[in-house]
Amino acid sequence: MLPESIKHGDTVLEARGITKRFPGVLANDQIDFEIKAGEIHAILGENGAGKTTLMNILFGLHQPDEGELYLYGKKVNFKSPLDAIGLGIGMVHQNRKLIPAHTVIENIILGHPRAGAILNLKRAGREITELCDKYGFKIDLKAKVWQLSEGEKQVVEILKALYRGAKILILDEPTSALAPPEIKRLLDSIRIMTVDELAIVPFITHKLPIVFEISERVTVLRRGRVSARLATTETTQKGLAREMVGRDVIFRMEQMTVEKGKSILHAENLVAFNDKGVLALKDVSFSVQEGEIFGIAGVSGNGQQVLAEVLAGLRKPQGGKVILDGADITHSSTLDFWMKGIGYIPSERIDVGSIGEFSLAENFTMNYYFDDRFSRGGIVDYKEIRRLTEQMISEYDVAAPGPDTTAKSLSGGNLQKLILARVLSRKPRLLIANLPTQGLDIGATEFVQKKIMEAKKEKAGILLISEDLDEVLSLSDRVAPMYEGEFMGIIPGGEARRELVGAMMAGLKPKVEQL
Amino acid sequence: MWEFMVRSLDASTIFTIAALSELLGQRSGILNVGVEGVMLFGATIGFMVAQTTGSYLLGFLAAMAIGGLIGLIHGFFSITLGSDQVVNGMGIWILGFGLTTYIGYPYTGPLGMERIPDILGLSPFFFVGLALIIIAWFVLTKTSLGLRIRSVGENPSVAEVSGINVARTRYLSVTTSGMLMGFAGAIYSLDYNPVWSNDFLMGWGFIALALVFFSMWHPFILLGGSILFGTLWQLSLNPQLVLPDVLSRYIWRTVPFAITIGVLVLMSTKWFSSRWGAAKPEALGLPYEEKG
Repeated sequence: MLPESIKHGDTVLEARGITKRFPGVLANDQIDFEIKAGEIHAILGENGAGKTTLMNILFGLHQPDEGELYLYGKKVNFKSPLDAIGLGIGMVHQNRKLIPAHTVIENIILGHPRAGAILNLKRAGREITELCDKYGFKIDLKAKVWQLSEGEKQVVEILKALYRGAKILILDEPTSALAPPEIKRLLDSIRIMTVDELAIVPFITHKLPIVFEISERVTVLRRGRVSARLATTETTQKGLAREMVGRDVIFRMEQMTVEKGKSILHAENLVAFNDKGVLALKDVSFSVQEGEIFGIAGVSGNGQQVLAEVLAGLRKPQGGKVILDGADITHSSTLDFWMKGIGYIPSERIDVGSIGEFSLAENFTMNYYFDDRFSRGGIVDYKEIRRLTEQMISEYDVAAPGPDTTAKSLSGGNLQKLILARVLSRKPRLLIANLPTQGLDIGATEFVQKKIMEAKKEKAGILLISEDLDEVLSLSDRVAPMYEGEFMGIIPGGEARRELVGAMMAGLKPKVEQL
Repeated sequence: MWEFMVRSLDASTIFTIAALSELLGQRSGILNVGVEGVMLFGATIGFMVAQTTGSYLLGFLAAMAIGGLIGLIHGFFSITLGSDQVVNGMGIWILGFGLTTYIGYPYTGPLGMERIPDILGLSPFFFVGLALIIIAWFVLTKTSLGLRIRSVGENPSVAEVSGINVARTRYLSVTTSGMLMGFAGAIYSLDYNPVWSNDFLMGWGFIALALVFFSMWHPFILLGGSILFGTLWQLSLNPQLVLPDVLSRYIWRTVPFAITIGVLVLMSTKWFSSRWGAAKPEALGLPYEEKG
C-alpha cells in the first residue's frame, strides 16, 4: 500500500467532506483537509471546534459518517488505529499512551511485528538509537517511562511512531507540556523529519505563536467547520484568533451598574501547584469589590481551576495570601472559608458539586449542616432542610418532583440550578462561579447568568471563571485573561474587546498603550 | 533438622507454584482471590482420578484440566462480562470449598498408592517449581509474549492501540494460571500429604495470594518468600523442633496467617504504594472494554 518513494509536495493524506455526528452534536461538518509530503500543516481550533473528532478520524479511532479519506491517492477505510498505524500514520497523544512501569525500549517495541518471539532488544536498541541520532533525540532507552519528564515521554511516543514506520505524524498539542528549550528541540527535530518527506500534522488549541514557528499552512476549525485555510506567511496571530473565535452573536446580558462598595477579596501573589505537582498558578494578585463581577477568561488548563480551588479553600497555596474582608484566611479550614462567606460553584457539578445517590435535601445539607438554624448539637434538622429545599426548588425553577428526588436524576441544567440555589441561599460575600454555564442549554445558561447578576445587585463580589469569551465579556466589570498560570493583564469591561482578550488568552501580552 | 528442612522445602514448592500461577494472572491484570478454591478443585479431582485409575499422571492431568477450566470461567466473568474480580474469586473459593467437600467425601482417607520417588530426599516437584520460576521469569521479561502480558496488565488501552488483543492475552494468562493452581493443589493431595479429608488445604491458597503481593510481582522474590513461608508453616506445625516449649503449638499455627495479614495490610497502605507501587500491575482487577 505504501508507495515506493514519496516526492516532496506529493499529497499524502486527503480528507474530503468529513462529517461526524454525535448525539446532539455535529462535531465535524464537511471538513476538507490535505497534507503533502514534507509539509507541516497545523490544525487550529478552540475546545469543541471538532479538532479531536477529526484527529480521531484520521487515526482510525472514529469512522466518519460521511466523507472519504485518501492516502497516497487511494481511498482508505480505517476500522481501528491499527489500520492507520499499518499504513504509516503515527499519533503522538497528548495524554501519553505509554506504560509507565516499562522501559523506554519496551514501550517502543510493544506490539511491533518485528519484536521477535524472544525480544531482540539489542537489534531494536540499535535501530532506535539510529533514529535518535538522525532526528536529534536524546533518551536513555533503558530508563523506565515513569522516570521521564513530559518532554521525554513525548519523544518516546514520537520514536514509537517512527519505529513503526510512520510517514504521517499527528501531534496532539505537541508543545502544551513542554518547557521553552524542549519546544525548540522538538521543532528542530520536526524540521529534520520534513527533510525526510514526513508529513506533520500538529493539532493546536491555544498556543498561537507555535503555529507560526512550526507550520507553513494552517487550517482553522470553528464549530465543526473549516473557517479558514491559510498560509502562515499571509496571516497574523490576531487574524488567526479572529478566525478561531469567530464573530458570532454575542449573547448579551443586560449590563447594569451597581455602585461598587468596599473591597471584599484580596488575592496576593498566589502561587500553587496542581494535582500533578506542576506549578499551575504563578504569582497572581487581584481584588474583587462589592457589587463587582471579576471575570477570568482562559482556555482550560491555564490555572483557573487551581485558582478557584485556592480561593474556595480546597487547595492550600504554596505562597501568597487570601484576604477576605481584611482578614487573612489563607490557612483557615475549608469550613472557615464557607462560614466567612465564600460560596463556591464548582466546575465539576457531578463529582464535586453534588452526591448523585443523595436526595436533593441531603445535597442541600452540605452547605447547611454547620448552620445553627438547621442543626442543633450535631443533629441535622431535616424537616427544616426539606422545607428550605422545597422553597428553593420553586424559587430556582428546578424541574424536580420534590426534595426527596436523587440528585443524579436531574439534568445538568437543573442540577446546576440546585447547586446555585444552595450556594446563593446562603448569601455569600464572595461567589466563585467556576464554569457556571459549561454544557448548559441556552435557557439554563440565561437563568444562571441572571442569578449571578442578581447576586451582584445584592452587593456580593463575584469571581466568574469561564472559557466562554462571550460570557466573560458580557457579564464582567473587569476581565483578566489567564495564560499558563498568570494574568496577562486586567482590563476594565468597557475596554475589553474580543480580539484583544482572545489574543491575551493565547499568551500575548499587549503593549501598555493598547490598554 | 535435615528432615525439617526437606519438609519445609516441600511445603515451599506448593506455595511457589500456587503463588506463581496467581502472579501470572495478575501480571495480565486479572486478580483471582479464589486460589484456595481452584487448588481444592485440583487437589480433590486429582486425588479422585489418581486413586480410581491408579495413575499419578492422569491425576495431575485431571487436576490441571479442572484448574484450567475454572481459570477460563474466571476469565469469562472478568474479561468478557467485566464483572468484579474479587467477587468472582470469592465465589470460586466458596464453590470449591463446598463442592469438593461434597464430591470428595466418599474418598476420605489415604491415597493408598506407592509414594512418588524423591530426588536427594526432596520431592521432584521442588525442581519443577524452580524450573517454573525460571521459565516464568524468562517469559515475562525476555519474550514478546511476556511483554504483551505485562502490557495488558499495566495499561490495556495502550496495549490495544499497539496492536495487542487484550482479551486473548488475558484469557491465555488466566487459563494457564488456573492450570498451575490445579497442579499445585494436586501436589498437595498426591505428594505432600496424600490423604483426603474435609477442607484439608486450610488456607494455603490464601497464603499464596498474599505471597504474590509480598513478591512485588517478581518471580525470584516470590521464590524467596515461598521458602520463607514454607519454613514458617513447618515451624508452626512442629515448633518443638526449633523452639521447644515456647508458646502453645496452637499459637504457632497462627503465625503464617498473622504474617499474611500483616503483609496484606502493609501492601494496602499509601506509604507502601507510594514507594513500591510501581511494581503493582496498574490495571490489576480492572475490567477492560475494547474499543476496536
